[in-house]
Parts: sequence; C-alpha cells; structure tokens
Amino acid sequence: MATESGPYPSILQVAVVATALKVLLFPAYKSTDFEVHRNWLAITNSLPVKEWYYEKTSEWTLDYPPFFAYSEWILSQFANVADPLMVQVQNLNYSSWQTIYFQRTTVLLSELFLLFALNKFIQTSPVKSTAHAAAIAIFLSPGLFIIDHIHFQYNGFMYGILILSFAYAQRTQSLLASGLIFAALLCFKHIYLYLAPAYFIFLLRAYCLKPRSLFSIRWGNCIKLGSGIVAIFAAAFGPFALWGQMPQVLSRLFPFSRGLCHAYWAPNVWAMYSFADRVLLYAAPYLKLPVDASAVHSVTRGLVGDTAFAVLPEITPRMTFLLSIATQLPPLAYLFLYPSDANFLPAVTLTAYSSFLFGWHVHEKAILLVLIPFTLICLRDRRHFAAYLPLAVAGHVSLFPLLFTPQEWLGKIVYTLFWLIAVLYGFDQIAPASNRPRVFLLDRFSVLYTTIAIPLLIYTSVVHQLVFRDKFEFIPLMFTSTYCAIGVVGSWLGFLVVYFTS
Amino acid sequence: MAPRPPPSSHKPRNKRRHHLSISSPDFPLAAFLWPARTGVSSWILLPLILMAAGLFRWATSIWPYSGFQSPPMHGDFEAQRHWMEITTHLPISEWYFHDLQWWGLDYPPLTAYHSWLVGQIGNFIDGTWFTLYKSRGLDDPILKLYMRASVLVSEYLIYVPAIAVAARWFVRLEHVNFVEFAIALTAILMQPATILIDHGHFQYNTVMLGLAAATISSLMAGRVRWACVFFVGALGFKQMALFYAPAVFAYLLGSCITPKIDVVRLFTIALTTILSFGVLYAPLLLGSIRDAYRKIAIEEYQIPPLLASLPFDVDQQNMLHRPLIQLAQSIHRIFPFARGLFEDKVANFWCAIHTFHKLHQYSSSTVQRAALVATLFSITPPCLILLFKPKKDLVPLAFAATSWGFFLCSYQVHEKNVLLPLLPMTLILASQGGLLPPIRAWVGFANILACWTMYPLLRRDGLQLPYYVLTLLWAYLMGLPPTSLSTYFGTKEAAGGLTALLHLPFYAAMMAWHVANEFVAPPANKPDLWVVGNVLIGAAGFGLCYLWCLFSLAQKAGLLSWFKKETEKQKTL
Repeated sequence: MATESGPYPSILQVAVVATALKVLLFPAYKSTDFEVHRNWLAITNSLPVKEWYYEKTSEWTLDYPPFFAYSEWILSQFANVADPLMVQVQNLNYSSWQTIYFQRTTVLLSELFLLFALNKFIQTSPVKSTAHAAAIAIFLSPGLFIIDHIHFQYNGFMYGILILSFAYAQRTQSLLASGLIFAALLCFKHIYLYLAPAYFIFLLRAYCLKPRSLFSIRWGNCIKLGSGIVAIFAAAFGPFALWGQMPQVLSRLFPFSRGLCHAYWAPNVWAMYSFADRVLLYAAPYLKLPVDASAVHSVTRGLVGDTAFAVLPEITPRMTFLLSIATQLPPLAYLFLYPSDANFLPAVTLTAYSSFLFGWHVHEKAILLVLIPFTLICLRDRRHFAAYLPLAVAGHVSLFPLLFTPQEWLGKIVYTLFWLIAVLYGFDQIAPASNRPRVFLLDRFSVLYTTIAIPLLIYTSVVHQLVFRDKFEFIPLMFTSTYCAIGVVGSWLGFLVVYFTS
Repeated sequence: MAPRPPPSSHKPRNKRRHHLSISSPDFPLAAFLWPARTGVSSWILLPLILMAAGLFRWATSIWPYSGFQSPPMHGDFEAQRHWMEITTHLPISEWYFHDLQWWGLDYPPLTAYHSWLVGQIGNFIDGTWFTLYKSRGLDDPILKLYMRASVLVSEYLIYVPAIAVAARWFVRLEHVNFVEFAIALTAILMQPATILIDHGHFQYNTVMLGLAAATISSLMAGRVRWACVFFVGALGFKQMALFYAPAVFAYLLGSCITPKIDVVRLFTIALTTILSFGVLYAPLLLGSIRDAYRKIAIEEYQIPPLLASLPFDVDQQNMLHRPLIQLAQSIHRIFPFARGLFEDKVANFWCAIHTFHKLHQYSSSTVQRAALVATLFSITPPCLILLFKPKKDLVPLAFAATSWGFFLCSYQVHEKNVLLPLLPMTLILASQGGLLPPIRAWVGFANILACWTMYPLLRRDGLQLPYYVLTLLWAYLMGLPPTSLSTYFGTKEAAGGLTALLHLPFYAAMMAWHVANEFVAPPANKPDLWVVGNVLIGAAGFGLCYLWCLFSLAQKAGLLSWFKKETEKQKTL
C-alpha cells in the first residue's frame, strides 16, 4: 500500500517501521551463517592478516574476498567490547545474548547504507515516483528480510553498494564512479561476478569508446577506469599477492569441488532437469531407457550434494559455463549496439538471469541478483511488470525452505504475502501503460502462475506433513523448486521478448 | 515530483464518501495509509492491516513469557497451561476445586471452556503437553509455539473482528472517512500494551476485550440484546470486565427510560441477561449434576464461604447441593475478597495514598468500604450522563471514564487491568476528529503511560527490548513524544497550551525514570524508590485521563454548551 503514489510514506518512515520489526526478531532462528560470521570476527580480530585465509579451526573458513574480511576486522573491534569471548577462534558456536544482539545490530546498521543508496537511486532516476515505489519495495524485500534478519547475512549492505553503482550508472557523467564502486563490490563478495559481463560491455562501449564510432577509443577514460580498478583490486588483494598467498585465497573463494545443484535445488534450469530425471526414472522401464544404477540411490534420497542423474546425461561445469555465456550473448550484444542508460539495468538483469538459470552450484539466495535489479526497472511499463510478476512470486517462495523451523513459519509466510499484495497491488496501480502491444499471453501466464502458488504452499506446509509425516521430505522441496523454476524461466523468456522489442 | 495524472476511477461508487478531517499526513501512520485515500478496495487494505498487526504480534511472541524457566511457581503461562491440563483431564465438577495451591482455576467458566478447547486440540497434537501432574512447569519450545498460536488465533477470531466492527459502527455514526477508519483501526491494533501483555507476558485478555468491544459495537448498532449476550460473555471470560458493568447498566437502563419508559424493552434485556448467564453456567452445573449421578466425588474440599454463610443448610442429598457448591465455589474463586487491596504496586489511587499514609493500619473491611465509596463516587458522573442521555456516540467515552474510575479507585487491581480503560479510550480515535492532535494527544498519552507503568512487570519477564521497540514504534506512528512534538506544537490544529503543559512533564518524567531506573541505584533506606515513583506518576497521569474522559463525555453530551453559552453571554455583556 506504501507504494502507489507520491512521496508518502517516505522511505525513511518505512525504514523505521521495518527496523522495529527486525529488532523484535533478534531471538529468532539463525542459520550456521551466524556462526560463520562470528568465526570471521574472531579470525580477523585475533589473528595476523597473513593467517586469515589459512585458519581452519572452524569448518566455516573465511571464503569472502578481502574487503569483506577488512570490514569484519572493523566490526570485531566493537565486538571485542560487546563480548570478548565472541572474538576467540576456539569458541565455536558461541552465542551469548551479547553476541546475538551485537551481530544482529551490525546487520541493521549496515542496512543504513542500502537506505542511502536507494535515496541516491531515486535522485538519479528520471521518474521519481516509480523509483520511490521500487525503492520501498526493495527495502522491504522479503528476500532481504528472510536472508539477512532471520537466516543471517549482510546482503542489505552488499546490495546497497550494487544499487549505488546502478544509481551512478544512470548519469553519463558518473559512469566512472559506477564502475569503480562495482569493482569494490567484487572485492566484498565475489558472487557479483555474475553481473560483471554486463558491466564490462556497458563501460567498454559507453565509457571507453566514443559514442559515434566503435573504433575511436577514449584513452583518457580507459586510463582512469583501468587504473582505478587496478588500485581497488590492489588494495584488496595486494597484501596477499605480495605474500604469495593468491592460490590459497583463490582456492577459498572458488571451491570447485561442489556439485551441480545445491542441497536444496535453486529454482533454475537444472532443477527442472533433475525433476525430469526423477520422473524419467519411473518411466524408464516402459520407455526402455538405460538407467544408471549407481545414481538411483541418490535419486531416491533426493537431497545430496552431488547430484547424479539416472537417465539423463551428466552435466559438467564446462557445459553450464558455456550455456550461461551463450544465453548472455544476445542481450549483451544488444547492449553493445545501444549502450543507453535505459538499456543497462535490463542487460544486468538478463545477465543475472542467465547465470542463475544455468550456473554451476547456484544457491537459492542468488535469486536476489535477479530480483533486485528487476524490481528497479519493472515499473517502466505494464509489459515489464507482467514479466516481473512470476519472478516476484517464484523468487520469494523459493526462499521459504531456508527457514524450516516451526516458529518462523508464520512470519515468513505472512511477511511475504504482505509484501506481494502491497507491492504488486501498488505497482499494478502505478505502472504506466506500454505503447507496444502486450506480449502474447504473458499476463495470462502470470495470473495463472500466481494462483497455483496457493495450493502448492498449502500442500508443502500442511498437507504433506499430515499425509506422509516425516517420510519423503524431498517431495515438498522438489515441488517448490520445480514450481519456482518454471516461474523464473517463464519470466526470463517474457522479459527477453520485452527487452528486444522495446 | 513529477506530476502524475489522477488515477482513473473506473468502478462506480455507491458509497457516501466523507471528507478527511486531516488535511495532510502529519504523523507517520497517516503517511502509510495516505496512498489509500484515492480509493483502495477494503479487500486489499484490511488484509494488509491485519497482516502487519499480526507480524508484530508474531515477532513479540518469540520472546520469553512470564515465568519462563523460573521455578518453583513459574507464571501466567503456566497458569493457563495448567488450566488446560485440569480441564481436559478432570471431571468438570473438580475444575474449581483441584489443588488450589498450584494455580487453581480462578477465572470464570468461559475461560475454563476455552482452556478445555485449546487443551483438547493440544492433546491431539502432543499428549505430553497437558499430562496431569507430570506436565507442570513444562517449557517445550513447540508447546510455547502452540500456546502462542492459541493466543493469536483466539485474538484474530474474537478481538480483531470485534474491534473492526466496533470502529466501523463508530465511524458510521460520526461520518468519518474510510481512510481515517483504516488509520484508527491500525492504531488500535498496534496498541503496544495489549500486544506486550498478551503476546509477550502471556494472557488471553484480548478474548475478554474483544467481547467487550462487541458489546460496545452492539450498543452503537442499537442491538441491545446482543450487547447483553456479549457482555455476559466478557464477564464470563474474565471478571475484570466488571469495570465496564456500570456503564453497560446505565446505558441499558437509560435506553429503557428515555425518551419514554419502555417496560417491554427492560424486560427483554433482563431476560436475555439471565438466560446468557444460564447458558454460561449450564455446562458447569449440569456437568456437576451428571458427576454426582455417576458418583464422582470431589476429592476433598471445604464448604465455600459463600455457601457456609447462608442462613440455612443445604442437605447433602439434595439434588441442588452439587450445583450450589459449584456456583458458590466458582464465585469464591473468582472474587477473592480475602486478598488485599492491591497486589504488587499498581498505579492507582490506593497504592499512591499508601506511599504516604500506610493503609495497613485500617481493618480490611474499612478499606473495602472506602474503596467501594470512592469507586461509586468516581463512576457516578459518567453513569448518570449515560443514564439520562443514552446516546450511541457517547458509549466509548462513558466506558472509558467508568473503567478509569474503577481502575483508580477499586479493589484488587492489577497493573495489567489498565488494558480495560485503554480499549474504549483508544477507540475514540475512530470518532470525528479523533485523529486530530487534541484527541490523539490524550489517547496517545494514556497508552504510552500505561505501557510505562507495566515496565517493571515486563522487565521481570525479560521483555525490555520488545517494550522499548513496540512503545516507541507506536509513539512514532502516532507522532507523539518522545519521537515528535508535532502533536503539541507547530500546526494550527496542534493540541498546544494546556494539554502540552499537562502532558510534557509526564513524558519528561517517564524518560528520566527510565534513566534513573537503569543507571542509578535507589538509596539504601528506600529500595523501592523507583517502583514507587512509577506508581505515583502513573496514578497522577491516569487521574488526568479519567478527568479528560469525563470532561469530553460531558462536552459531547452537550452538558457544557449551556455553560459555554453563559460565559459567552457574559463576555458579550
């Protein structure tokens, strides 16, 4: 309701109320990520920098880039005051109330940066009212609510940096700042590499080359951008490179030994592929298909790190990489040809879609990479909004399995429902009509898709428990991720059409 | 801001639309609902409000409850759980007699039936939660979740619809705009005191408050017989609903004598009330007859004093013996006259006097008589107004004034009972101009002060943080101190002058008290200094609230217009 007109409520008012709710959630469920971050506070506080990427007392070793480690070091100075026991490496799974209050508070405070970035984004946006609505929707995002304030992470802060970079990308005179902020973001959390191709193409074409000709290079801009990026990466990785620790650091950042699908399948193409494999396994005897006997065990359990396929061909990391790149190429080529501010965010969104849909070992949390840029542009017209709708539903529903404790069940459902009704209703009121014909049947698909969510949620949260008790735990998860995958893929295809025809 | 075209209204409107009395979103809650003034369907707006209110309740419910892991007696959570245990496992005739030392049942029968229902559903989920004797002091997290959910569900089935309907009737009587209705409804549902006590401390007050709200809305809707039914329900759930009884009585009687004496109406009201009480007690009394018939004896008991004091003896073999014992025992349990004037420290008149003039020196009957006289004195003016002017729009103010009088002057009052006067007083936000600073300042003042007087209780439960968050959030949403002074100064509608002079010292005192309570140790010879300070300030502030409600009631009833005309006449002369 907050979103449909004008400057009321202000984003600050929204932030105050949302923060009140988040403070009340201090004692809520927290995942192992809470211990991960406590451990990093301890590592950075009590060990010399040289040992940060070697320390392995806890299984949750430091696997974020150095800027994040530096900020943990800053936080740990205050943590030391709040509770000195918190910053001892040996103190595994330590969670005194001071620790909980302190760590939860740092998430809340770091979110101030998101507030700042969203304000900046509204300022640089051509249409203030829709940007205001989108900013409120992002600040209240159930994704951030569930992942940051219950599950425990610092995504609000990270996406704040990303949105600040978007804000500067909306003005031609501040492209350099946008690029450098993005480079810094990569040194905080390397998952944003997924978006790097769009940045690369955009900055290359709009900043390093002349607008008129592809072949005249703006050397001054190249030097500014290049040296800036080198300086930032040197500040982050320089010390470790000097000590010859880069292989170790990189092996921590990119653990390639993981499987195709995360324990719980992220709603992407591979979830659909795995689902198809499960179905084919039962159909195989009738279709006379060869079945890989060694994979059957893993199939019936449904929840394993290394997914093996019984019927369908195996997928290799190289294949996922090539598919991601191949699906990114058309939108990036389009961006290269028409490098306007207006085309940049859609290209970022599509890049994120490709990485998420085809990537290797994608986490369900990575859906925010698609959701947040898309939220910023979905109010351009009704066609954008129609493509956004299934993503908004699927993206958030796919996060539900993150919280599996009974206590948090009601909260996650009601909060997400509140957001979906308020934001989608509000957006529907203010999204301007498009001057192009609507995408064939896309809006019908959106409505149909959204309604299916209701029986699905009832099944996964109530009916399955009543019918099967604790057996076949993977069925609700499989249904959820397959349903969500259909939504994400559907909205991707719809948005591709919108992108190339606007 | 880029100018936008006005949203096209494509559906025909057949509802009368009333003008907004607030001209701009001066306080944050109005800003949140401001976009809705262009005409958002209530099918969108109301679910959103209910969900938002529900989220804050859920978030409060994950905090500890009263008596969490604090043996030997635990607290209100254990009391409620224990009643579920005894009602689902013992024959109905034992309910009011069973082991009275361990949280013996001392609420009226509707609470017992409610406990039975919640207990039965709970037994279906997990039989160990309410095992007889063995489950005492249980603090299983899933049990906590279940109990919390039972509060939430009871509230959303009874309190929330009752409040919404009551506010809707009030709004209809006073021709208030729909958006202002939505703002007032949100403010009422976000009342921090109610959330903190029911979802933090743990009680089922909202069931009783909901039935009381249904009484109010039935009175405003002109359905007096339904009002009787609901009010008996409220009394039958928690005896504290007696705070409202004089107002209900005065209004019902008044409606039978004004504008003309209507004996039939009086008769049907009396009959409905008696029948409702009959239905309320029927399961208990019939159950006890059945138990007597099946030779189930009550283990061991004393003759309830009420029965013992009867001038005649009832024969043990008499059919009526068992029901009479039940009735007498339940009344004896519900109204513990033997207990003192007040429990703990509560911000009312007696506790405040006690600070300076010890009341222990008087016999308890003297004190009881004094309390009775004082209460009668305080409730007479609002009841007389209602008796002679039984107008629908006076009902909430009269309820508020009467229950403030009761809270301040009567006997056996808990700090939590402040919820009773708060309900009708907060309902006034839904009246014409209820969101304008003069009324908002007073309603806000009462709510913030009430929360503050419950701080010592909430602190014992480990609910300091929810207290600060919910109270400050509500103050923020309503534009009240300590977050904002805009209600008092700055606009032409601001409450200003006298109101500010009365309220701001209290707000300053509350803040200073929090600092002192947290960081300054009280002097050695006065260890209770901060608690007593809380009581004194609270009692003074509540006294002001009583006077304001009475004054507003008199004003609304038109009693002051004559006075006003006189003074104006004098001025012109």
